[in-house]
Amino acid sequence: MQGLLRGLVYGGLIITVLMTATAWGMWLERKLAARMQSRIGPNVVGKFGLLQPVADLMKLLQKEEIYPIGADRLLFDLAPFLVTTFAIATAAVVPFSAEAVGADLDVGLLWVLALGGLMVIPVWMAGWASNNKFALIGGMRAVAQSISYGVPLVLTSLVAVVFTGTMSLSGIVKFQIEHGWLALWPPGPGVVAFVLFYMALLAESNRIPFDIPEAESELVAGITTEYTGMKFGLLYVGEYVHTMVGSAIAAVIFLGGWDGPFHIASGLHWMVIKTVALFASVYWVRWSLLRFRSDQLMRLCWLYLVPVSLGLVVFAALWRHFVLR
Amino acid sequence: MGYLLDSIRALGVTAKNIGRKPVTVQFPKVIRERQERYRTSFALLKDEQGEERCVGCLACERICPSQIIHMSSTKKESPVTGKKRGYLDDFTLDMTACIFCELCVQVCPFDAIVMLKVPHEPGYVREDLVLTMAKLYENAEKPLTWGNGTKLMEMQEPPKPAPAQAAAPVPAPAAAPVPAAVPVPAAAPAPAPVPVPASAAAAEPAKTEAP
Repeated sequence: MQGLLRGLVYGGLIITVLMTATAWGMWLERKLAARMQSRIGPNVVGKFGLLQPVADLMKLLQKEEIYPIGADRLLFDLAPFLVTTFAIATAAVVPFSAEAVGADLDVGLLWVLALGGLMVIPVWMAGWASNNKFALIGGMRAVAQSISYGVPLVLTSLVAVVFTGTMSLSGIVKFQIEHGWLALWPPGPGVVAFVLFYMALLAESNRIPFDIPEAESELVAGITTEYTGMKFGLLYVGEYVHTMVGSAIAAVIFLGGWDGPFHIASGLHWMVIKTVALFASVYWVRWSLLRFRSDQLMRLCWLYLVPVSLGLVVFAALWRHFVLR
Repeated sequence: MGYLLDSIRALGVTAKNIGRKPVTVQFPKVIRERQERYRTSFALLKDEQGEERCVGCLACERICPSQIIHMSSTKKESPVTGKKRGYLDDFTLDMTACIFCELCVQVCPFDAIVMLKVPHEPGYVREDLVLTMAKLYENAEKPLTWGNGTKLMEMQEPPKPAPAQAAAPVPAPAAAPVPAAVPVPAAAPAPAPVPVPASAAAAEPAKTEAP
């Protein structure tokens, strides 16, 4: 009973905090994007436009719900909720500090990767159920991309697992507190693994330069084409939450989680700083680079990312076996 | 590899931009200075003695490409100078069809009609866009453009010939080029020998100048 209560409270807390953080993450993105293009960005609603997410929410809530002719209503309704649910559920195992962790699973990393992989299904549902060619093509591309980039994502996470010998996320952080952050140590391969993980993360969350599933100039808006109102909002939020949680996971696996540099003032705030920095950098990349073509995307994945990350796993195994014994 | 290097350069560019001042001007709050030749609506002017400058010579009505200027006038004795001259009974300018060519301003021999430098107000009905005589005289209070008939004609005149020729009377080259020199109807006894607008108006201080 007590465990259930704790779960409810912590779950509610995570959802609230994460949704709020994501809402203002969107504000941050718009502000950053504006500044990168010498614009001002949202500045009308509230001080510095800080209430812009609230205004967006109100707008979305007022929109009419439209079902396209021939749409599969059940799947059409279900998809946005599943996207958001999976994205948020991932956050349950993220250790924000030594104490602030929802469920410190032994297989936390597996949980994260599994839910990330499951995201493919609601995305495909949305694409299929819309009965729209753009949504369909967008969904197909998203599935192809997620599955392909899931491989380097898993392999680079495996590097961390092999190094640390645990799949528990807080276990990984504790290992890093003892031995140094994985992105910095051992010197070469750690950084490479981090970069590859980051690229795979960009691809998993459909961000430029890997945003072909919703390439505006080709596919209107990909799977979100036919969605209106809050269902569109949920798809959108799900994407941002996915990015946010992905940044948090990257910070945990490779950047030492709540550990401060040189163990200075370790705690929750370091985790927040790292997550926000990674989150912002995703948008920095998004507003700087161009979109890959579909075939370039696949070539990059299968010819470069996968072999390199496989090599990294082998290196990690050797290091673990001979150096760290 | 090339893509990678280019990507890094692109990231650098955007990173540099973050520190730069935004170029956005928040339009309705901040209005930038209008361009020199910015011109919108029209105004009719009065001279220093408070007399209407327009004598109803029909020059603008004739030259208007859209044929949107209509006026009627009668001859009366001027209370100021005591001479007989034309006074407007009615004057309308239909902004719905105006093409902002400024020809009416150019041909005006008395610098009576000029253009405004403030955006002209949109209306809810078509009638709002028709400038009546009252509205045109009210507009004289608003910021005016730099141009009036005299100044615009000066810009069009060919370089002045030798002084000896210039002394020669009326059929001057100034009258030739543009329809500007539409002869003022002889009926309108304007101050002084009529068809030499340039010199006549130049004598007066140009109070129509925009600030």
